[in-house]
Amino acid sequence: MTNETAVEDQLDGAVPYRSRRRTLVRAGVPVAVAAVIAAGVGLVPALAADSPPDLPQLSAEQVVAKALGSDAQTLSGTVSVSTDLGVPSQLLGAAAGGLGAAAGHGGEQGQGSADPQSKLLGLLGGDQTLRVAVDGPDRQRVDLLENLAGYTLVRNGDQSWAWDSSTNTALHMTGRPAAEHAKAPKAPLTGVPTTPQEAAKRFLTGTAGTTSVTVAGTANVAGQKAYQLSVKPTQSGSTVSEVRIAVAADNGVPLAVVVKSTDGSTVLDVHFTDVSFAKPAAKTFDFTAPKGAKVTEKKADEAAAGHDAQGKQGEQGTQGDRGAQGKGHDGVNVIGEGWTAVISTQLPSSVEAPAQGSHGDGKQGKRHGQPMNPQALVKSLGKPVGGGTLISTKVVNVLLTDDGRVFAGAVTLPVLQHAAGVN
Amino acid sequence: MSQAETVLATGRRPQTASGFLALFRNELHLTFRRMRTKVLLGILAALPILIGVIVKLNTDSPRGGGGGAPSFIAQTTQNGLFLVFTALAVALPVFLPMTVGVVAGDSVAGEAATGTLRYLLVAPAGRTRLLAAKFTAGLVFCLAATAAVAVTALATGATLFPLGEVTLISGDTIGFADALLRAVLVAGVVAVSLAGLVAIGLFVSTLTGSGIAAMAATVGLVITVQILDAFPQLDAVRPFLFTHYWMSFSDLLREPMYWDGVWKDLGLQAAYVAVFGSAAWARFTSRDISA
Repeated sequence: MTNETAVEDQLDGAVPYRSRRRTLVRAGVPVAVAAVIAAGVGLVPALAADSPPDLPQLSAEQVVAKALGSDAQTLSGTVSVSTDLGVPSQLLGAAAGGLGAAAGHGGEQGQGSADPQSKLLGLLGGDQTLRVAVDGPDRQRVDLLENLAGYTLVRNGDQSWAWDSSTNTALHMTGRPAAEHAKAPKAPLTGVPTTPQEAAKRFLTGTAGTTSVTVAGTANVAGQKAYQLSVKPTQSGSTVSEVRIAVAADNGVPLAVVVKSTDGSTVLDVHFTDVSFAKPAAKTFDFTAPKGAKVTEKKADEAAAGHDAQGKQGEQGTQGDRGAQGKGHDGVNVIGEGWTAVISTQLPSSVEAPAQGSHGDGKQGKRHGQPMNPQALVKSLGKPVGGGTLISTKVVNVLLTDDGRVFAGAVTLPVLQHAAGVN
Repeated sequence: MSQAETVLATGRRPQTASGFLALFRNELHLTFRRMRTKVLLGILAALPILIGVIVKLNTDSPRGGGGGAPSFIAQTTQNGLFLVFTALAVALPVFLPMTVGVVAGDSVAGEAATGTLRYLLVAPAGRTRLLAAKFTAGLVFCLAATAAVAVTALATGATLFPLGEVTLISGDTIGFADALLRAVLVAGVVAVSLAGLVAIGLFVSTLTGSGIAAMAATVGLVITVQILDAFPQLDAVRPFLFTHYWMSFSDLLREPMYWDGVWKDLGLQAAYVAVFGSAAWARFTSRDISA
């Protein structure tokens, strides 16, 4: 027994021979602290998601009408988007890069443009946090919060901005894109749903007739009382088993959309983590290009004309690039309807290699231009099935037939094979 | 040895707040008078100068533009103040935790190894109090280390680049004074983010009598955790790694500021301080100090 332990023992009023027990007791303290914290981490969300709120009973039709007729014009909040499509990451990269290449001017300037389409494809994989603000049909803002970087889409009347902080580039569109406007009044510039509203509208309107809608109780979402709509496909052959939509009881704003696949896993979860229906500050929608940013100017009618305009800009690109685009968008057929709709197209035999991360790295952008065979890529990723190659994800299945046609949909393989006429 | 004697002199006071202050002051002396601490702070201070000069030379060269560089670095050429954020972003994953790991890991074990710990323990200050003083001194070192980076970064940035309005990550532009406030806020958050590491280092330090071993273990742990944090397969565990939310300080550079990640970071640090602080206490107060 050393001197200082003796001193310490006396101070603590303990006798030396009990020190082993004391050690055990003391070791219990951090364990207890850890247990309390673990319990807190586990319990607090459980308590927060406490008993579902009491709301008057409504029929499914009434809730749907509430959701579709929601006239909430102003909104701001934080949206958590979590997707787990099980898409092979190479394919996602290729798709994003392909779109970047389709935009044409990306690689040539050594830095990517702030093109929204290629950026938002990133939403298809993993977890993202978005901040959204809406003030009527003319003013929206979406901020994609990235690690050490940000991506911002702002529309204020006929002024639209896309700003990418990681490349210090901005895309400025003037004029009112008429076609786009009519198509998706709340979706600024993109096809990817960035808010629960867009996702909910898509599921509620796009699939009418082949859908059973029921009210599945109530829930608290982002501090709001909400009805839970359960949307299920009535057709067999869909890989989507259920879509759950939480609709705010007060004003009918969809607050959360969860898509479950037939294997029981969640493939898409878009929900507000906090939301306010107050009018956002006007300066939220004021955007001017930061000093020193590289700004690409674009006319909106050009953008609305879409692929023609991109084709023109893409003249610096190769023939293959344009070929891919033409086929990709003009030659698309939709077979079937509702949940089992299958889109088919012809896959080009060669497209320009995607400039991987062309929006992030100027040097890599220079790799732009190597030819790539998409059929070979698909075949390397997929597994051979009757009539072609199948790329299987949790929801979307893609069948590449041996003669180069592509069939894709949120459907099972037999439906795809039937659509392709192979067995 | 001389430090131990001071404690003997001051530590005989009754166990009051001033007694703790004396201990704490003594710990600060012990930490900051060390040559090693000065060298570490010097290295941290040199880092922003290095970054600033490299960025400056790069932008002056005909290749120009700093194309392809991470956004933070590219931003610096627009505004010198951004060098503060760049330097902190560069220092936070490696340099800062390394220096903090060295100081925290050595705090108990180093004294045990040199034989000064027994003198401290003879003083009627109590082990708990001594540990608290060491932990607080560790926190002060975190602040000092972060300040060393931030202040030299500001000085270097002001010398090499223009100052003025700052472009935030969200594309908004704010005035210089506002940006300076954010720099202070960010530096504070970064410093507090290291609190969990101080607690871990202190705990490791109570486990061994070898200062080198404790330092190596702490720094090694930081590196291991950072590597684990990079695996998407460990998604279930990652939010509980103490380094996971470190970079969330960049969310304060948005307009409006986004606090979610920062609060998670601070909460996580508090949890680590509670668990490893109590573990260090349990170990230190029941340990047989033989050196």
